[in-house]
Formats: sequence, structure tokens, C-alpha cells
Amino acid sequence: MTRAAVLAGVGSFLPPRRVTNDDLAASMDTSDTWIRTRTGIRQRFFASEGMATSDLAVEAGAQALKSAGETSADAVVVATMTPDRPCPGTAPTVATRLGLGGVMAFDINAVCTGFVYGLATAQGLISAGTADRVLLIGAETHSSVLNPDDRSTSVIFGDGAGAVLLRAGGGDELGALGPTVLGSDGEGADLITVRAGGSRQRLSGTAPDPADHYFAMQGKAVFWHAVTRMAESCRAVLERAGRRLDEVDRLVSHQANLRIINHLADELGVPRDRALVNIDRVGNTGAASIPIALAEADAEGVLRAGEHVLLTAFGGGLTWGSTVLTWPGLQRT
Amino acid sequence: MSTTTTYDQLVDILVTRFEVSREDISPDVTFEALEMDSLFLVELLLVIQSEMGVTISEDSASPSDTVGQAAKLIDAATAAAGS
Repeated sequence: MTRAAVLAGVGSFLPPRRVTNDDLAASMDTSDTWIRTRTGIRQRFFASEGMATSDLAVEAGAQALKSAGETSADAVVVATMTPDRPCPGTAPTVATRLGLGGVMAFDINAVCTGFVYGLATAQGLISAGTADRVLLIGAETHSSVLNPDDRSTSVIFGDGAGAVLLRAGGGDELGALGPTVLGSDGEGADLITVRAGGSRQRLSGTAPDPADHYFAMQGKAVFWHAVTRMAESCRAVLERAGRRLDEVDRLVSHQANLRIINHLADELGVPRDRALVNIDRVGNTGAASIPIALAEADAEGVLRAGEHVLLTAFGGGLTWGSTVLTWPGLQRT
Repeated sequence: MSTTTTYDQLVDILVTRFEVSREDISPDVTFEALEMDSLFLVELLLVIQSEMGVTISEDSASPSDTVGQAAKLIDAATAAAGS
């Protein structure tokens, strides 16, 4: 019998520095009203000086292990576009600091879709028998790459980490991951990017523009692709799972922008109140956004055992992906 | 489809989906004047695509366009798709 990956624990961590819209408006040409009406965001959290992505990942990972009642895992996967450094990956450091030195550990970069790509990866590791318990962590320190002169991106992104522990189990158990639909389109590679720092720029023979070290995004085109791709992949994954849209109790999309979340719900015909929303409190936390939303909703009792959950994300690459699961009853930590 | 019908449909979408007051809308009013920025325009084109079955690329309308111009754009796209 094929082994399924079963969600057994969740965790999240937000760095202590809370930054309100008014705080941002003090140093750039923006306002609380402008940010709220265009993004739905009221505040976000930024890492303090001296913190890095692994610091956030360790906290969220420890919480997910505790939530699952586990003290160890056989694999640590970190989904991030803001690793501690270009080389080596962040996951081995995270694994060792969690006391899991020696286990397989690697990073995934599918930008904001990283967590959903990570779920598919964990599912593969478990179903192939390579691992029995996979700790998957989405973690970002976007504040390290935000351009202070670009108000369109600086107001959207926040730092944070979210994690899940997946264990081997049966496909009919609560928490078993269903099919996953993933996709990408390199034609849109320039729509969401940090241009400098990689081989393309380093071997170009010219020094980078200082702005190329920062994150850049073409908002209009991204909005269009995000809604279209997430809607398509949601429909595709539900069809593969043999479920209907009206059976979706909770739509958990990447927290990109409240307007994208609402538009996606409308496009799918899912009532907006079934969409989990925490972007108002944490901003867009990239690969961490879905597991943070899951951990918070579970802790608040918003997600209940037996609910049909549809997860979907879109990010740079371009990349997108969706999966389904039935929410398990988790131990409260 | 006549321009009047398309315009009326567009007005209905603006009122029901974008919470714009009906009395603020006229054929000559710009999206900018309705406080709709370029992202709202993209959202509007996505709604038009799903509700009216017309695909218009996200860079073909701007906030300085009027509601009347957008209705004509939808008609032109409908005609092009049908030809």
C-alpha cells in the first residue's frame, strides 16, 4: 500500500519587531489608508538586527515538532527565497540547531510557492520510504531584500516562519495530503526578482545597479497571473482529488494581497468567509505565509478536525501549486 | 452587443464587485476619479473575463481611461473574438 504524508503538527514564529503602516509612512511616501485599501495589510513583523532566516525557521520548526509530539524528524526541508547566504543551504544549519544533526536537510526555492512545492517534496520522500517524518519549514526575512525606495513592495512584505511536521501514514487518515498540482512558467521570470547576486549578474562583466540587490515586482502582471494560475490549479487539484468546490470548507491561499485572496475566492465561487486571512496582521511572508496561517488558525480553533482544506500558492518563477487535505485534530502546544 | 448594454454591465460590476457608488459613475468619469488604481483595473479586467467571457490583456486599460472608453474596449474585444 502506498504510504501517505500525514500532517501531524504545525508551528509558526514571527520576529518581535512589529511595524505598523504608520511606522512605514514615517520614512516613505505612503499612508495607512493607502496601504490598507490596496493590500489589506495593517502591520507586519521585521527581523531584528542580527537575525537571519534560520533563526526564524528554528523557532517555527521546534513548535511544529512539539505540536506533533515528536522530538526528531528524518528530514528537514526549508522553503525560502531569502536564505541565510547563497551557499550553503539554510536547512542543514536549522536541522543541527534543532538537534537533528545528521539527517538529510536541503532548501527549496520556489519563492512564494515554496511551501506547496515543499509539501509535494515531503510527500515524495515519505511515499518512497526515504523518510518517515519530514519537518517542512517556510521561512523568510524579506526585510533583508526590500528596497526602501520602492513603496509598492516595501509595504507588502513581512518576515516570519511557519512549519509543519509530516509523518508516514494511511491515505484515509485525517491530515493525509491529497494530490498536488504544481506548475511553472519561466517566461515570467522577470516579474518577481532579485536581479543581482547570482551567476547571471556576477558573470555579466558589469557591476550591478544598487537597486538590483533588492526585491522587485511588477504588481499588475503578478496580480493577473496570481489569480489566473491559482484558480486553474485549484480546479485541477480538486478534480484530481474527486472533490467539488462547494465541499471546500477552508481556502488557504498564499497571503499575497487581500484583494488577490478575495478575488480568488470570488473567481472560484467560494464564499469569502471560507478564505483564511491573516495578511492584515503579518503582511506577505512568502513561503512562510501558508504554514503561518495554518498554525494561527489551528491555535485559534478556526480550523477544525474534519474540515476540507484547499491550499494554493503563486510566486516568482513564475511558480504555482495547490493541494488538498482534511484537517487533523492536532495537540495544542 | 451594443455599447449601452456593455456599459450597463460594466456599471453593475463596478457597483456590485468594487463597491463604487452608482451615482458617481458616468461614461465620462475616469477610473482614477473613482479612486481605482492600476491594480483595481487588473481586477476589473479579470472580473470582465470571468463574467462576460471577454479576455483583455492587463496592460490595455489605464486608470486615466473613462468608464465609457472601457466599455468600448470590451465591445472591440468581443467583436475581435467573434470575427
